[in-house]
Amino acid sequence: MKSIRVALAGNPNVGKTSILNHLAGTNLKVGNWPGVTVEKREGKVRFWDYEIELVDLPGIYTLEPLSDDEWVAYNYLTREKPDLILNVIEAPNMERDLLLTVELLEHELPTIIVLNMMDEAQKLGIEIKDRELSELLGLRVLRTNGRTGEGVRAILPNLVEVYNLKEKPRSLKYSRELEDILEKLRERENQTKAELIKKLLEDEGCRIYRESIRKTFRKESQEVIRDERYAKAHGLYREVVQRKHLTARDITDSIDKVLLHPVFGIPLFFLIMFFVFKLSFDFSAPFMDWIDQFINGFAAPLLSEMLASLGVSLWVERLFSEALVGGVGFVLTFIPLIGVIYFLLALLEFSGYLPRVAFLMDRFMHRLGLHGKSLVPLLLGFGCNVPAIVATRTLESRRDKLLVIAMIPFMSCPARLVVFSFFAVLFFKNPALVIFSLYLLGLLVALLTALLLKGTLFKGGLYHFVMELPPYRLPTLRLLFRVVWAYIKDFLYRAGTLILAASILIWLLLNLPPGVKNPSESLAGHVGRAIAPIFKPLGLDDWRMSTSLIPAFLAREIVLSSMGTIYTAEMYKEKEEFHPFEALKEQAVGLLSASRDAVINLFKPIPTAFSVEEESEESLRSLVSKSLSPASALAFMVFLLLYTSCLGTVAVMWREVGKKFAFIFLAYSLFLGWLMGFFAYRLGSWLWNT
Amino acid sequence: MNLEEVKPGQEVTILELMGKEDVLKKVEAMGLRRGRKVSLLQKVGRNLLLKVDNSRVVISRDLARSIEVQ
Repeated sequence: MKSIRVALAGNPNVGKTSILNHLAGTNLKVGNWPGVTVEKREGKVRFWDYEIELVDLPGIYTLEPLSDDEWVAYNYLTREKPDLILNVIEAPNMERDLLLTVELLEHELPTIIVLNMMDEAQKLGIEIKDRELSELLGLRVLRTNGRTGEGVRAILPNLVEVYNLKEKPRSLKYSRELEDILEKLRERENQTKAELIKKLLEDEGCRIYRESIRKTFRKESQEVIRDERYAKAHGLYREVVQRKHLTARDITDSIDKVLLHPVFGIPLFFLIMFFVFKLSFDFSAPFMDWIDQFINGFAAPLLSEMLASLGVSLWVERLFSEALVGGVGFVLTFIPLIGVIYFLLALLEFSGYLPRVAFLMDRFMHRLGLHGKSLVPLLLGFGCNVPAIVATRTLESRRDKLLVIAMIPFMSCPARLVVFSFFAVLFFKNPALVIFSLYLLGLLVALLTALLLKGTLFKGGLYHFVMELPPYRLPTLRLLFRVVWAYIKDFLYRAGTLILAASILIWLLLNLPPGVKNPSESLAGHVGRAIAPIFKPLGLDDWRMSTSLIPAFLAREIVLSSMGTIYTAEMYKEKEEFHPFEALKEQAVGLLSASRDAVINLFKPIPTAFSVEEESEESLRSLVSKSLSPASALAFMVFLLLYTSCLGTVAVMWREVGKKFAFIFLAYSLFLGWLMGFFAYRLGSWLWNT
Repeated sequence: MNLEEVKPGQEVTILELMGKEDVLKKVEAMGLRRGRKVSLLQKVGRNLLLKVDNSRVVISRDLARSIEVQ
């Protein structure tokens, strides 16, 4: 089997990644977000007797590299030299895109041009004479529709044929004067035009030629080359593109009149975000309850029956039910929430709205010293901090990236909401107000952190704003589901590796030394007792509270399950009878009613996720409410809001910025959580006179 | 005049890109080039929304100031 390496090159937003997605069927992220492909992405296809390796280069406007993503593309083309270039052109913006085509042709590699989004071009009255284009450049020109995948299949046989026939495009000719000089630089027969130009511009020995160019053209060589390229692109454009002036209004302009309205644009943005979060919470809540039921009411008892019948020791059975089901199982219940949030955010992204948010909100953000583009990751943070931190990759300057990463962990996520709703309902008359205030406190601390960093470590001005707003496009459902599935797969992978390992470790700490009956005598209990004095100023000197904070480092919501284990350790659990078939039937009925509830929730105007249902853990509630005062409960919530008590977040910070940053930030958030918790406790004690 | 002084709805022709910033090369490759027509769709905050051929480009005012138009 022969392999062919193909590079997909084109301007940002021309649909390269969706063409790759149609070809290879891989779960690649495609976006209307300019520059989403900062890394190199690949996909492999088997076709005939060939293995075709497709590399998606970052979207670039020109091969004169400035930013990181442009360097990636440039280095790949010049150093790794693909067998073939697939130059994707957005048909409606042919004139702009042809500049890159000209620059690519200088590299003299076999090339195929793909005219994408022909349907959009036709609507705009643009006709492209692809036969002429093909003859002028001496290469094959194909037409596709990246959204639907129309015409994409024809790419593969053409790739193989061009590769086998070694079809090279016709060599590009610039002006006579420039060509003469470039020919004088030639040392070998096979030097490409790109190499000759590089030599002319950079080689020390070519200074005399640069001088002579300055004399003939009265311009610097760099500028002469650029002008020649633009002239070539413009010439091509004039020969192959015909424009009829259609009076049809552009749909994007009409939508932008509303969504980017100077006055209404921002309220509309808040309205859209409100619905995104309402839908995410309300639609997923019934499914989350169902998964919880399924794991605890069906999967766990079924497996423990099976383990018991295999005759494994009690140790193994408990490790299984407490670490695997209690730890990993609990995390799995968040899958519906993650799925729905990603679906909606992907919809916003691919439809072209998300880049507009950056433009719309820049006027507020830049007063805080932040680039408008940084708002998007911050918003994602309300869904889950982990992908929000990954999303900072799209920011151009490292300063912005670090600032935003330091703000994201203070955006309150659904895991915190779970804990807040437990305590707020138990201790306060107006739980919604308390929860809302906590969200605001998180925002405030994020802003203060940004201001602090800006004044000290990350001084310096704002980067210019340069960005393209893509036209609005309706993404296909298949594309959206592929993206959502990619995220869920990643989440499942983490649940099966990192979270599982940590759950087992904490379970061991709670059950060592061997034979320990009471968690207070376990290793975890000793640690909890040792750190209890630290939390005394927050009104949390009970060892049971401090111990429950240790496993909560994995994920905040675990604080509830570990409190349950610790507080009710002495209580005897009655073993229920378990009938697998009836239980399975019950689960199926449960899933149906969950789907029904989810649909009903869609039509309720007010978010229902805040209304907390009374659960059966009446004993835990009463035990906790006896051992804490409202002031210490408030302190506990504030502490948990601010302290980065989430292994996932710390891990992703480590990966994106580095170990040092992750640990310093962890210490900072721990200190800040403690300090604010202390103030909250004082304030609460003063308010409620306890 | 420079691009920042243009009013929303107006269409102008670019005369010259002044200034030495590297980012202007990118702006140029995005289609904002000598001789090209651009229309200003909106001014929001520190940014301008322009229409260049069939694409929409946002640039900040500080960059717009270094683009001479007519």
